[in-house]
Amino acid sequence: MSVQKQGLATAVNPYRPHPARITSIIDLTPMEKLFELRLIDDEAREAFSFESGQFVELSIFGVGEAPISISSAPSKQGFIELCVRNSGDVTGALHRKQCGDIVGLRGPFGRGFPFAEMKGHDILLVAGGLGIAPLKSLINHIHDDRHDFGKVTILYGSRTPSEILFRQQFDMWQHRDDFDLILTVDKPDETWTGETGLVTKLFDQIDVDPASTYGAICGPPVMYKYVIAEMRKKAMDVDRIYVSFERRMKCGIGKCGHCGVGHQYACIDGPVFNFWEAMNLQEAI
Amino acid sequence: MFFRVIPKREIPDLVRGLAHEFEVVGPVAKGESFVFAPLTDPSELRLDYDTTLLPAKQWFFPASETLMRFRVADNAVVDDSVDVTPRVLFGLHPCDVNSLLLMDNVFLGDDPDPYYKARRDNTLIVGLSCMPTDTCFCDAWGTDETHWGFDIFLSEIGDDYYASIRSVKGAEVVDRYVTGREVTEEDTAAFQARTASFKAAFASDIDTSQLPVLLDAKYDSGIWAELGDLCLSCGACSMVCPTCHCFDVHDELEADQTHGTRVRTWDSCMFRDFAEVAHGNFREVRAARVRYRYYHKQWGYLSRFERVLCVGCGRCTRACKAHIDPPRVVRALQTGVVDR
Repeated sequence: MSVQKQGLATAVNPYRPHPARITSIIDLTPMEKLFELRLIDDEAREAFSFESGQFVELSIFGVGEAPISISSAPSKQGFIELCVRNSGDVTGALHRKQCGDIVGLRGPFGRGFPFAEMKGHDILLVAGGLGIAPLKSLINHIHDDRHDFGKVTILYGSRTPSEILFRQQFDMWQHRDDFDLILTVDKPDETWTGETGLVTKLFDQIDVDPASTYGAICGPPVMYKYVIAEMRKKAMDVDRIYVSFERRMKCGIGKCGHCGVGHQYACIDGPVFNFWEAMNLQEAI
Repeated sequence: MFFRVIPKREIPDLVRGLAHEFEVVGPVAKGESFVFAPLTDPSELRLDYDTTLLPAKQWFFPASETLMRFRVADNAVVDDSVDVTPRVLFGLHPCDVNSLLLMDNVFLGDDPDPYYKARRDNTLIVGLSCMPTDTCFCDAWGTDETHWGFDIFLSEIGDDYYASIRSVKGAEVVDRYVTGREVTEEDTAAFQARTASFKAAFASDIDTSQLPVLLDAKYDSGIWAELGDLCLSCGACSMVCPTCHCFDVHDELEADQTHGTRVRTWDSCMFRDFAEVAHGNFREVRAARVRYRYYHKQWGYLSRFERVLCVGCGRCTRACKAHIDPPRVVRALQTGVVDR
């Protein structure tokens, strides 16, 4: 008996990417670009809603797919921004794309930051390197809803001044009094007048009210342990410290098994976990 | 559930009848072993088989399958059709029927997988009783019995099968292709006696107590380094496992580079690059990978679906050249010693 095939309705195939057009490309650093993408299908674009901390699967046929966290705020609709480092096949192919080119998107996937729960509280965001990408979404979302939050502090560490992402915006924000922003670099150059050293060093400069502060951390794996230790020193609650993990999310829907972290999957249980949950996940931190 | 007694001699009639409507896949001999393969004649069917080399998962989740064909220029999908071939899997032992139920939790739960679902929806399952071999340990997980997940289940009673019928389609084909008869009290007594001798024949004695706790409490135990030293990272355990569902996806371009296919293939957490990301590899060493396999099967999956992700079929016991299998790993967890 020969194999019989039947077509699928687009809506029932979670592996089928939706075409999206690149509508803007901004060079952030020599390694990272900010891509603005718009889903081409009106219905798909209108149905697309997400929360800060969620990710999409970026699909370039002929190359593959890669999980990328969304950098724009959920309060901005009709497009998403992805801050992408040129570090692999798919991200390399994306970096070679031009404005107007079409790529594919699946998602959004995963569990993001608990924005509604965070409202009414002080927020302490700590980013290292490319970890600013998902936190940027949260920062911008808070910005668009600023009156709903108490004190907002952003600590952002980079290796060198030239690797600071979104620098233009952050330079302007240095002068705002509704965001306490401190940038630091490991290796300053002759132009750098700001802080130097690891992001954990900045904790000496900030006041935290542990009873009303939510923390959000994203950065290279090695950073979490040290930043969490600083937050715990400030007496912040384990279940109010949120971390976002990078894992190899391939399917995005809890099937392919690649993003296992302890007994859970980063793609459906995370990528954002609170520290209590993370402490109970083997190989998480 | 309703029941029929089907004489063994009528099985070829049933298979021939099914072949009018379905592709019939069943256990056939291959060298000194058995495999599930499409039948060209009922005489090929070997209902006396012990275990097949590969599990039945390939008929729902093939080792390699095209998810979609695409056009490069506008990044568009041109075909993502699914396999809806009417098929019957004839002669699955309880472990293999149970393995499909465990796979269903992954592939048919949230965000159902349309490729798996299409095959599952179009496949009739005929289960078959068995006797334990020296590599079987289904009794450890309670997967030596199955009460759903099949259309017909045939339990051997002498010259007959005691057939439990679960679905309308199962009842239809039994009515259509075999004479059968109502079961009597004697038949049910024979079924019970058969079940008792099956249960008594197990030699395995795995102590599964408190496995999730032990997996966490002994996460840093030296047993993992020992097992990691033995493991060859070949992934055979995953390939032959009826419940291993992990997969990889990659794109293949056609010769003219204008079109291609997105293909998914079986993958294994035993492979070095399985958990690799841009920043590094979360399971660089073999010990971490062996540990993760067991951690996921006996705790990760359990935390989500309340069952362990193993049916005790013993295929990994047969396939692993380093003799790493659930009975040995569970013993090591209980005693703190990897037996030699």
